[in-house]
Amino acid sequence: MTRRERQSFWNGIAFTAPWLIGLSVFTLYPVVASLYYSFCDYSVLQAPVWTGAENYTRLFRDDLFWLSLKNTLIFAALSIPFGTVVSLSLALLLNCEVKGTPLFRTIFYLPSIVPLVASSMLWLWIFNGSYGLLNFALNPILGLFGAKAPTWLTDPNWAKPALVMMGLWGVGNSMVIYLAGLQDVPKELYEAAEIDGATPWRQFWHVTLPMLSPVIYFNVIMGIIGSLQTFTQAFIMTGPDGPPARSTLFYALYLFTTAFYDLRMGYASAMAWILFIIIVILTVFATKWFEKRMHYGR
Amino acid sequence: MQPKTPFGRILVYVLLVAGSAVFLFPFIWLLVTSLKPIEQTMIMPPTWIPRAYTATVQGQRIEVTRDFLVERKSVLIVVDDGPQKGQRLLLPETDLDGQHGRARLQVFENGLQQAHDYPVTVVRVVEPGAWHVTERSDTKVRQHELGWDVVPEADIDAKASPRWDNYPKALATMGGRDLEEVEGSMAGRTSGISQDTHVGFVVFLTNTIIVCALGVLGAVLSNAVVAYGLAKVKWKGRDALFAMTLATMMVPFPVLMVPLYGVFKSLGLVGSLYPLWVPAFFGSAFNIFLMRQFFLTIPDELGEAARIDGCTEWGIFWRIILPLSRPVLAVVALFHFLSAWNDFMGPLLYLTRKHTFTLALALQNYQSQHGGVQWQYLMAASAVLIIPIIVLFFFTQKTFIKGIATTGIKG
Amino acid sequence: MKLRVLAVRISRLIACSLVVVGCQKKTDDKVHITYWEKWTGVEGEAMQATVDAFNRSQDRIEVEYLAVSSADRKTLVATAGGDPPDVAGLYTYNIYSFADDAALTPLDVFIQRDGYTVDAWLGRYYPVYADMCSYRGTVWALPSTPAVTGLHWNKALFREAGLDPERPPQTLRELDEFAEKLTKRDPKTGELLQIGFLPQEPGWWTWAFPLWFDGQLMDGDRITAQTPENEASFDWVQSYSRKYGLDAIKSFTSGFGNFSSPQSAFFSGKVAMVLQGVWLNNFIRQYAPGLEYGVTGWPATPRGVKDFTIADSDVLAIPRGSKHPDEAWEFIKYVSSTNPKAQRREDLTGMELLCYLQEKNSPLKEWSPFFEQHHPHPHIDLFRALAASPHAASIPKIGIWEEYRREITNVFEGVRLLQSTPSAALDYCQARVEGSWTWHTTNLARRAAHDPNPAAKTTRP
Repeated sequence: MTRRERQSFWNGIAFTAPWLIGLSVFTLYPVVASLYYSFCDYSVLQAPVWTGAENYTRLFRDDLFWLSLKNTLIFAALSIPFGTVVSLSLALLLNCEVKGTPLFRTIFYLPSIVPLVASSMLWLWIFNGSYGLLNFALNPILGLFGAKAPTWLTDPNWAKPALVMMGLWGVGNSMVIYLAGLQDVPKELYEAAEIDGATPWRQFWHVTLPMLSPVIYFNVIMGIIGSLQTFTQAFIMTGPDGPPARSTLFYALYLFTTAFYDLRMGYASAMAWILFIIIVILTVFATKWFEKRMHYGR
Repeated sequence: MQPKTPFGRILVYVLLVAGSAVFLFPFIWLLVTSLKPIEQTMIMPPTWIPRAYTATVQGQRIEVTRDFLVERKSVLIVVDDGPQKGQRLLLPETDLDGQHGRARLQVFENGLQQAHDYPVTVVRVVEPGAWHVTERSDTKVRQHELGWDVVPEADIDAKASPRWDNYPKALATMGGRDLEEVEGSMAGRTSGISQDTHVGFVVFLTNTIIVCALGVLGAVLSNAVVAYGLAKVKWKGRDALFAMTLATMMVPFPVLMVPLYGVFKSLGLVGSLYPLWVPAFFGSAFNIFLMRQFFLTIPDELGEAARIDGCTEWGIFWRIILPLSRPVLAVVALFHFLSAWNDFMGPLLYLTRKHTFTLALALQNYQSQHGGVQWQYLMAASAVLIIPIIVLFFFTQKTFIKGIATTGIKG
Repeated sequence: MKLRVLAVRISRLIACSLVVVGCQKKTDDKVHITYWEKWTGVEGEAMQATVDAFNRSQDRIEVEYLAVSSADRKTLVATAGGDPPDVAGLYTYNIYSFADDAALTPLDVFIQRDGYTVDAWLGRYYPVYADMCSYRGTVWALPSTPAVTGLHWNKALFREAGLDPERPPQTLRELDEFAEKLTKRDPKTGELLQIGFLPQEPGWWTWAFPLWFDGQLMDGDRITAQTPENEASFDWVQSYSRKYGLDAIKSFTSGFGNFSSPQSAFFSGKVAMVLQGVWLNNFIRQYAPGLEYGVTGWPATPRGVKDFTIADSDVLAIPRGSKHPDEAWEFIKYVSSTNPKAQRREDLTGMELLCYLQEKNSPLKEWSPFFEQHHPHPHIDLFRALAASPHAASIPKIGIWEEYRREITNVFEGVRLLQSTPSAALDYCQARVEGSWTWHTTNLARRAAHDPNPAAKTTRP
């Protein structure tokens, strides 16, 4: 290294020093430690004891592990597609050049910055089976067909869909990202399509969607990572044990209670690593799927 | 895109307005509920305006609650004998044997619910369509101490009356104290009071502000410095560090959760606010990435010129780059504030005692203690958590939206 | 409300909170220790009064009482984080799992330092309570809120059914016979209007039926969920669903209110006999005054176990890592003590004060004259006798009890709802719990090999 190179090397180290510390103490060490704990019997109060792959083999025989995984995957499989459709539709509406869009954009966006604790309280009240706003609105409509609205959070079949619905209220973030993506689509493409006589529907299908695919990809990946870690809503609205009938026992919830209520930290770490692997696998699948269809042209 | 036809334009508006209504209704419901007296939260169909009802009860004009609409022809009677002697009761006319002045009453006897005939005096006959009303009182909780009567609908005055005092009451009881104790109608205990018994809203707010303010300060300082080191200083190992930074963004929080808890435990910091803001001073992958992207758009020539003039690397960063980066600093500050204010899992992990709780954790604790019965207080407390965020948003809307859009497009 | 009034109110509230915050600085030179307890309501008030009495009784230590929801979970998390309360109010079953996790401070040292042998100290308690506090040869906690259970019967319903209201069933067969006589159906629809007895009312001690039938859940270090006695007990449970009809029972029980409300099955006269605890009298006075009832022990089962009862107790323990273990012990010692000469209400101290206010039996063998003669519970002598019974049983002392209980409750529910036979359900339970137990003991053995005496490392100031 020349003197100049050496100097800039030390400059680089100096500037990134906070992060070098942060990265090692708050990320790298925990990652390594967690991997180690996942092969240990560890309760925090006592030193970890190496047990080999026992945590993993036991996990695969744990009914609650499979149940929580199933619940989480169902939740993700509902909330990602619905979330995409709703946020993309709102973005398309806002992309129409009519007066007042900034106001509407604000209204659609606001719920996504509401603290999750507060929106959980609010939706707990909205979903209330007897006095909730939702059933007040639904029951007259369902009454026409002789049906009755469910009690949502206390009904094992409807608790998950209820949490999905609540999630749709907070799609503002991805909506704004879609909107930015839409505004980046070159106008000439639509003009050309129009000259070719394409209907709005065909324009959407053959121009908008392909041009937007990188943004959709980004939002789907974020959706996978986020929904697999769903915790706060379920913890507050239904409870740490995932009632009713464990229908909202999500993976992160089971992991948290295993670690901090049962003090089985090694077992919980093994669960965390399995979650990590699941996220990586799903992300790779999504990437493969989008790569075939993705349009990078700008 | 512009709708081509007037019809298209109208359709777009209809959809926008309908969508906004759906998105706004929960907020309105929150505010309306937070301003209602408790009995008006639990009625079907719900009312949209909190009201105060006034009626004449036993000769006095007082505020009342409307309990139910009398649907059948009924009689108001006084019991002359038996276990309920002296009580006024409202009975369906069919339970009265007018000729003999007796009525069939349900009594609790020897552990059994039984119906017997007792002598009664009829006060008056009540036609269907009247309201059963009861004296409204926040302090008298025992049902039998409250006056009640049956009055025609026309005699009830209803006027809009938002209960603003739900807010101070909710905030005062948020720490777990009883309303009676707060208002002084119940003597507070003097001996053996734990530090956690008397915690109130102000403590929670202070804790939240500490975590937010220090966190924002740390996030802005550390990420800017680090991002500069990754964007503008050319050094060996820089690209490797950046790649590693990006890779860590993939790691889900549960993987880090247990060891992080161990780290703070060994530092003796579990139970304090430190774990919630100290890490901000050591950078975060996402913010470093965001800032680095911004720094890359600043031409290198600016720095080079200063370097030739003998400016140190720190000088370049501090005097040239930082002043140019206000927009991205604002984005990082805002995002960090928002996530610190909204954070629930962090406080849940690290905080065990009420006097260290942040608002988000205190709200959850409030709800779990009161079992979600007093919706008006719960909604008021939630509104207090939401309103600062909304106000902040209105002042910084542009920065916000731009920041989020950037993350999606450039990511 | 006028804006000005609102402004005044808000500023007053803020001022109040500020004053409170400002007051938190402790100006005295007492040692302040924190005590987390789960109780609110009657039990909570009684405990607060006991804390107050302790604080007045000396001038060195001030106990700060705090009612905490799910106090046991929070205690464990706080202990893991190194910031526990000094005293924690736990459930009996917490002792064993917490001790296995090295989350408690052993109390033997303190007992011996005060000049007692552990045997002498525990000898003051009725054996069932003494036994539940020691585990693996160490005392980890001491009773705070004891309880025993008995068969409560409704005398008015007995009279109505032509039974002697003063003679409760003595044996299981009599219980079944009386139950049939006490059951009323609607002659037209066959709907149940009243029932003599139901195993699931209140259904809190699902694990007690095997013990009552002279079975066992643990034999030394072995899980014994599947035994002929245990199976017989669940056969008996199932007989009620078969006899009265599952659907009829379902629709009848859906009208029951919470056990502590006027609509509860027993208070409203829908069920004539229930197995309930000493605390029931508190609720009877509150929600069903005038209810004419009697209490006796659990009826004798075919194998002849007489005077059977389920005893349970809430306990006080010092979490590991407590900042003031010595002062915490002083408080626990106070709660474990009494004034044996108490003649008046004001003379009561410690355990007797607490049990008097909670209207429960004292777990200590020796009762003071006042406590014995002026106890507010009309049937306290019966409960005292039950606590002294050699057949007073408590939960098995294992660190995975919560899981075992969950599985046994699954057996109970499956059997009661006619979804499985007792034998099949117990087989499943046996396999599940045995698996967990093997894992648990293996872990404990490994931990011990690794770190022979974790408790000895307890920090002492």
